[in-house]
Parts: sequence; C-alpha cells; structure tokens
Amino acid sequence: MSEHADDQVIELIDVEKIYRVGTEIVRALRGVSLSIAENEYVAIMGPSGSGKSTMMNILGCLDIPSLGKYLLGGKDVSKLSQSRLARIRGTKIGFVFQTFELLPRTTALKNVQLPMMYALARHKKQRAMAALERVNLADRAAHRPNQLSGGQKQRVAIARALAQEPDIILADEPTGNLDSKTGEEIMDVFDTLHSEGQTIIVVTHEEEIAARCRRVIRLRDGSIASDERHEPADQDTRGPGVRAGAGSESPRVAVS
Amino acid sequence: MCGTTARNAQNVGTAFVQIWANKGRSILTTLGIIIAVSSIITVVSLVDGFGRYLTDMLRGYGTQYMVVRPHTPPALRRAGMSRVTLDMRDVEAVRTECKDVRRITPFVYSQVEVGYAGESAEDVPVRGVTEQYQTIRNFFVDAGRFFGPVDVENGTYVCVLGRTLLKSLECDESIIGEHLLIGDARFHVLGLLETKGSVFGDDQDNTIMIPYTTALKMWPENRDSVMFLAEATDESYVDGAQAQITRVLRQRHGIQPGNPSDFRVDRQDQEIKQFEKVRDVATGMLSGIVSISLLVGGIGIMNVMLVSVTERTREIGLRKSVGGRRRDILLQFLTEAVVLCTVGGGVGITLGYVATNIASLHPAMVEVHVSPWSVALGLGFSAGAGIVFGIIPAFKAAILHPIDALRHE
Repeated sequence: MSEHADDQVIELIDVEKIYRVGTEIVRALRGVSLSIAENEYVAIMGPSGSGKSTMMNILGCLDIPSLGKYLLGGKDVSKLSQSRLARIRGTKIGFVFQTFELLPRTTALKNVQLPMMYALARHKKQRAMAALERVNLADRAAHRPNQLSGGQKQRVAIARALAQEPDIILADEPTGNLDSKTGEEIMDVFDTLHSEGQTIIVVTHEEEIAARCRRVIRLRDGSIASDERHEPADQDTRGPGVRAGAGSESPRVAVS
Repeated sequence: MCGTTARNAQNVGTAFVQIWANKGRSILTTLGIIIAVSSIITVVSLVDGFGRYLTDMLRGYGTQYMVVRPHTPPALRRAGMSRVTLDMRDVEAVRTECKDVRRITPFVYSQVEVGYAGESAEDVPVRGVTEQYQTIRNFFVDAGRFFGPVDVENGTYVCVLGRTLLKSLECDESIIGEHLLIGDARFHVLGLLETKGSVFGDDQDNTIMIPYTTALKMWPENRDSVMFLAEATDESYVDGAQAQITRVLRQRHGIQPGNPSDFRVDRQDQEIKQFEKVRDVATGMLSGIVSISLLVGGIGIMNVMLVSVTERTREIGLRKSVGGRRRDILLQFLTEAVVLCTVGGGVGITLGYVATNIASLHPAMVEVHVSPWSVALGLGFSAGAGIVFGIIPAFKAAILHPIDALRHE
C-alpha cells in the first residue's frame, strides 16, 4: 500500500498525530497508512474520537502530521509552512463544510470566486460561472446566501470547491445540516462529479451517505479498522433522485 | 500584478460591505475619528487664517525697519545710573556711517489734546517724524499731501491726520487746509492718512503726524531721548544694519566691550517671528488636544475591529481553507480598519469644512480657508489611525489557526 503509484492522489505513510491537551498526550492518529487513487469516491467513517476529524484536517492540509509522510499528488506536504499549505489548500483541495460557510451579503458568484482571489487566477468570472453550471445553479449566480435554500447553499459551496479544479474534494459531513431528501440531492451532485472523474472524499457518520461511495474507510481509536471497496449501493431501493444523479446525465467530461 | 490589484479592490469592496452591513455600529465607531478630523480641519484653518491675517498686517507696516530707543540696562538701573541719552547727533551718525541703512527718521512721541471747531479729542498720539516715515512704515496719505523736507527743516506747524481721529473730531475731508489745535499750538492740516486698522488692539488710525523738528520745539525735554526708525536697504540686510547701528551707537556712547548697551534695537521681523512662535505654541497645544481625540477614536476603531474579528472567526477559517494566507487575512482586516477610518476622516473633513465656513460668517471673523494640506493632514491622520489601531485586530485574525477558526461557535 505504501509504494508510490502514479495515479495515487493521496498517500499517507505511517502518519501519526499527537496532541498535547494540558498535561495529557492524545494520540489522535496512530501510524495510519492509506492511498487514494484518482477518481476514487471515498467515505471516511468512525465514531467521535476515532481520529476522523484529525484525518480530515491532515488530508485537507489544514494541519500537518506529527510523524510520517503525506504525499499529495506525489508531493510531500507534511513539512510545509503555513503559507505554502494555504496555497496548496487554495489550488489542490476543495472543501465542502457541514454548515456551508458562504460569505453573507455576497452573491453566489462572488462566493465561488473566493478561492480564485487568493490564487490570483485569471478569468475568474467565466470559471466561477462554469463551476455554478456544474452544480446546476447558474441561474442563481446573482443571489445572496439568504435568498437560497439549504441545498442550494451547499451546491454553491460545492461550486466554490470546484472553482480551482482541485485534485480532491473534501466534504466534511456535507449533508449534516440538510434534511434527508436534500442530502440525497447533494450526494447526487457528488455522484455526477465522480462520474466526471473527480476524486471525492466524504467524511460522514451516516451509513446511507457512506453507501453511496465506492470505498469506505472506517477509523477506530486512531487506526484504520476497515477499508472496503464496493459497488454503489443498490439504487433500486433508493429514491428517484438517486437514480437521476447516479447516471451520468451530464455530457461534460471531467477536467481535472 | 493585476491579480494583486484585483484582490486589493476586493478587500476595499468587502470593507464597504462590512461597514454597510453594520451601519449603526460603523457610525458610532467612527464618531471619534470624525470629531478628531473635523477639529483638525477647523483648528488648522482658523489658526492659519488668523496667522495669515496678522502676518500680512505686520508685513503691511514693513519688515525692513528697526526701532531704536534709549534703554537703561537693568544692571545700570540698579546702580542708579538711569540717565541715558539718544539725540539727533546719534541719528545723524547712524545716517552717515551705516551703509546698510537706507532710510531713517527720528521719532518723537507724545500724547496731547487735539481740538477743532469746538470738538476735541484727548490723549491723541502725536508722532514727530520726517517725510521718510511714510515709506518706512508703508503708511501714506490718501487725501491732500504729507509734509515735505522743507517743513521738517523749518519746523513748520503742519500736520496730517489719521481717519479715526478725523471721526473723533466729527469732521470730514474738508478739514484739509484748515487749522486745528495740538496742545496750544495752531497747525495747518495738509492731508489725511489712509486707513490702517489696528494691531493687537492698537488703533493705528488714531494718530496725528507732525515734523519732528516742530515736535522737539513743543516738547524740548525729548531732545536727549529721541527714538528713531531705521530701514535696511533690503530684508536680507536687516542683520547687517542692526549690527552697524549697534556698533556706531556703542562707540559714540563710549560703552566698553562686554558692557550692556544703553539703547535697544527692536526689529519688526522679530515681532513676526515672535508672533509665529506664539502661533506655533498655540497650534501645538491644539494639536495635542486633537490628537487625544484621535487616540480615543482610534481605540474605538480597534475595539470594533476586535469584535468584528471575533464575529467573523468562521469566515476567517473559511478564507484560510480556500487558500488565504496570513498576510492575505492581515491585509483584509487592515484594509477594513483603514477604510473605516478614512470614511470617518472624509465625513470629518466635510464637517470641518462646514464648521469653518459657518465660523467665517461672523462679521468680525478674519478670512479663513480650508487649506488643501489640512485636508491631506486629516485624511493622512485618519488613515494612519486605521493602520495603527487596525494592526492588532488584523494580526489577531491572521494568526488564527484555520481548524480552530472553522470550529468557532
């Protein structure tokens, strides 16, 4: 699992994360090794305290491992400075949060443009519009968050994550603040993106969400308890929204 | 890079969105800055206006002349040797020996009663001078004529009057050619002096001028304590002329080196300098008061920026997670503080402008203008306050850890 292959987007090699809480030392991750290839669709699960959040923070370059290596797209990012990590977050990783985190009083289009502001990118408007089209929200580009429904907000957030054409989309409980129907719509969006070639990692505690992914990694006490690949759950048992999303209706070809 | 410009524009845009979103808070916060800047504008404009008025007026009397008068040095006064003299021979010596002195006039001064056609004025300042006095003091007649060298040589009883005195005597220009009484002597009125106004409450137009020779005839006790006015050939020669006068007079009076002079040379340009010193002290004190209000205003800005950073912790976390570096966050919040302050400064400038214009409506007010540099000063100070008081909140935002910021409730 640790040998490097060209199509591996993510490689964790013996990653440990140790926190010091007062006098107590917490080993949040205990030597985790993991590879995720391009266009994988992974769910990371585990009870609270399992190291799930720590794993997400490290995968998202929000934090660095105490020990071990993290290769993102073949590049070691485990020893980088804050400023370089920020640059990597801005260009290679698209975050989707449970609570959307859209800027208030700012249009959907401007929200989507935010990562590009920091990356000094060109053609921001066109690319942001393209990202909004991919989540079918082009007609809401001029709306502000308070004029959007929860599902629409999360789709704007996904468009923002897509804006820089990142290596991975990292979604932290993306359906946690949505009702189950809207949650499934969001998962439909992820399904579509996956079918277009996007690598997606979803951190979740909901089995139904994890079942939509092609691979489920379960953490327990800072170690990987199980790592299973499977075909998507039987779609006939699910609602119509799932079928619509799981089939690749979109003619668009993956860009990243 | 165009991208950097775009991001700065974005920062300014975000700042305005924030200010607009918290209108009430923004207004209250910037109140301190508004007051400080409007005070800067008003104070600077008023001090400037008064300063220009007084300087212009003093300059109007000529800055190239010196007044030389007998003066008992304190050391001699204690020794009981109070008799000092300055007479016409001294004046003559200065006239002939000081090459940087262009014009000179003796100056015999007294205050007497003046009467004309049943009206009279008490304690009128009478100045015994030569015709040179007009040019030295820049003080001319605008009706009739001044007396000439012949009048001075012969000590004739002729005079010219100031406009205030004319008013006190309740008559008009028809007085030219008539006779009036100065003390007990009858004088022929030759002309009327132009209006000069007053300096520090001293009405320059309440005066009467006669030949100094005539004055010495009327008040012979002044013969050995004559004052005189000496004008240097150029403003840059005032120093030289003063030195020459001092040398000539000390030599004539036999004063040993190291001993104090028994006369005083007062320079008009020093008076301006003295006034400017007073003005600078006043400006300094007022700026002190203004800077206190700027400090208070700045602390208000800092406070509200700290609140804003806390409120927007999650936004900071998000911005960091989508690629914002520490310096980007720092710049964003610094920009917000500076924009907030500069907007306050802009409002302050407007208010200061209005206040200055209202003040200038008062009839006794001198002419005041809001000078461009006071506007620049106001804007500069407010933007500076934004940087100084915005840096701590901005830094606090910049060093937030993205994970903690995103978890903030």
